[in-house]
Amino acid sequence: MEVSVSMDPLFLAWSCCRRRQLQRSADICSKILSESPFDQESGGAQVSEAAWSLKTRALTEMVFVDEVEVDQEGIAEMMLDESSIAQVARPGTSLRLLGTSQGGAPTPAVRPMTQSGRPVTGFVRPSTLTGRPETMEQAIRTPRTASSARPGTSASGRLVRLGTASMLTHPDGPFINLSRINLAKYAKRPNMAKTLFEYIFLHENDVKNALELAAVATEHAQFRDWWWKVQLGKCYYRLGLLREAEKQFRSALAQQEFVDSYLYLAKVYQRLDQPITALNVFKQGLDHFPTEVTLLTGIARIHEEMNNVISATEYYREVLKQDNTHVEAIACIGSNHFYTDQPEIALRFYRRLLQMGVFNCQLYNNLGLCCFYAQQYDMTLSSFERALALASSDEEQADVWYNLGHVAVGIGDLTLAYQCFKLALAFNNNHGEAYNNLAVLELRKGRIEQAKAFLQTAAALSPHMYEPHFNFATLSEKVGDLQSSFTAAQRSEDAFPEHVDTQQILKNLRLHFATL
Amino acid sequence: MPEVKSMFREVLPKQGQLSMEDVPAMVLCKPKLLPLKSVTLEKLEKMQQDAQEIIKQQELALKEQQQTEKAE
Repeated sequence: MEVSVSMDPLFLAWSCCRRRQLQRSADICSKILSESPFDQESGGAQVSEAAWSLKTRALTEMVFVDEVEVDQEGIAEMMLDESSIAQVARPGTSLRLLGTSQGGAPTPAVRPMTQSGRPVTGFVRPSTLTGRPETMEQAIRTPRTASSARPGTSASGRLVRLGTASMLTHPDGPFINLSRINLAKYAKRPNMAKTLFEYIFLHENDVKNALELAAVATEHAQFRDWWWKVQLGKCYYRLGLLREAEKQFRSALAQQEFVDSYLYLAKVYQRLDQPITALNVFKQGLDHFPTEVTLLTGIARIHEEMNNVISATEYYREVLKQDNTHVEAIACIGSNHFYTDQPEIALRFYRRLLQMGVFNCQLYNNLGLCCFYAQQYDMTLSSFERALALASSDEEQADVWYNLGHVAVGIGDLTLAYQCFKLALAFNNNHGEAYNNLAVLELRKGRIEQAKAFLQTAAALSPHMYEPHFNFATLSEKVGDLQSSFTAAQRSEDAFPEHVDTQQILKNLRLHFATL
Repeated sequence: MPEVKSMFREVLPKQGQLSMEDVPAMVLCKPKLLPLKSVTLEKLEKMQQDAQEIIKQQELALKEQQQTEKAE
């Protein structure tokens, strides 16, 4: 039916690939190849060669992800870090230290934290999921909750699992048998080697073979092809050989100025925990490519991760001047306005996203919250209803119910609030914030034991939040359990040193203990 | 009722110090804006989900096959 018109099958496959009907393209290529097999050793006719190359391209495109964005640091890389030179970095030079907020960023009293203990941002990328725990114990304990699962090493992470899955789908084995392939032969033919490399790197996730191919190919090109150098750098980065990766990217940059190379180089420095150097790399890139959006975004991200929200916002604004449909910039500026007490302006940013066609649970949830705090009550509940309808996972569902609970607290309907927080817990039993808020509501009803239990659960689930510790300290002080009050207050102080009420409790308790 | 009103008259001091005790109250956790997901992250998650679905289906098929073999 499909190929009833006698079109050249190779042309059809190529056209399908261009129209992103990748599976169909790959199928047609397989058919061509089964009719006239492409012999890997002798090199067959040109048609089958082209079909082979096209099939690798189609299969690669199916699983293509932007390598600049992908970054998942495993526990092993984080804890067994060879590149650090000091136990504790100087303030303002490291991404690992949360540090005190620079330049009037909102404190934890207004801006909540993510599971990994970083202030929430308006946008989440594969690399933002990872915060940096300080001890091995914490590192192993954190992943227990579903939303912050972390692989043992980056080599066992998401990408490898995808790689094995892609092989499973073929009942008669993988398309290219990597162990039997003669890499040196392909390396001599640049037009085929490049597609083959991307296939090995992205589809099979076999970094070692990819590295070998790239090494042979760059040698064959007499080290004059910057593309191979960038690929070599990517392989080294994946293998964790960061200094080698740095060398390759620098060498590629010396040969050919290219935005991607700057981005990769900065990524290496971020992994090495040298944000200042990464910033310099971005700025060098900006000298050659003024007002390049990806470079500006990179700078803004680093500022944001270093908790310097004001300059991050400045750079995001710069991004928006160049590209006024940049989702990340709009979302980050919007969330920043929300947490600096300007929900009306945040609402305008989120509405802009809606106009641009972003249509998902998170956006409607944010719109609902902004509407409520900007006193646009007519839109609040309908936004939340849509958010609930669009939620794709239990965690999202839980977060929406949690925020609805806040709306209920705001209008004084405590029964509804209680139910909302309970629902949040039903969807995600690891929701520390919901436990804490439930405890506060329980205490209002006078059920002290229940409140205590909830607070302890909240503190165990998310030790980075100061609220459960502080609440526990207050509660224990009231019932006269001064020792546990003191320890809880100390934990609260660790989580949020500038909190005045915690300081007050600690002061009172110290005074009390001194008089005993 | 007018007698009651005259009995309790409100007192509004026009001068002097006003003092207020600051009682530490319980704090609620703050409302959470959900971060939007980047395209890459969405794609990764979708691919992972699809892959898991496929594996599940294959395992189911394998189980059924084994059961039919046993039955035979």
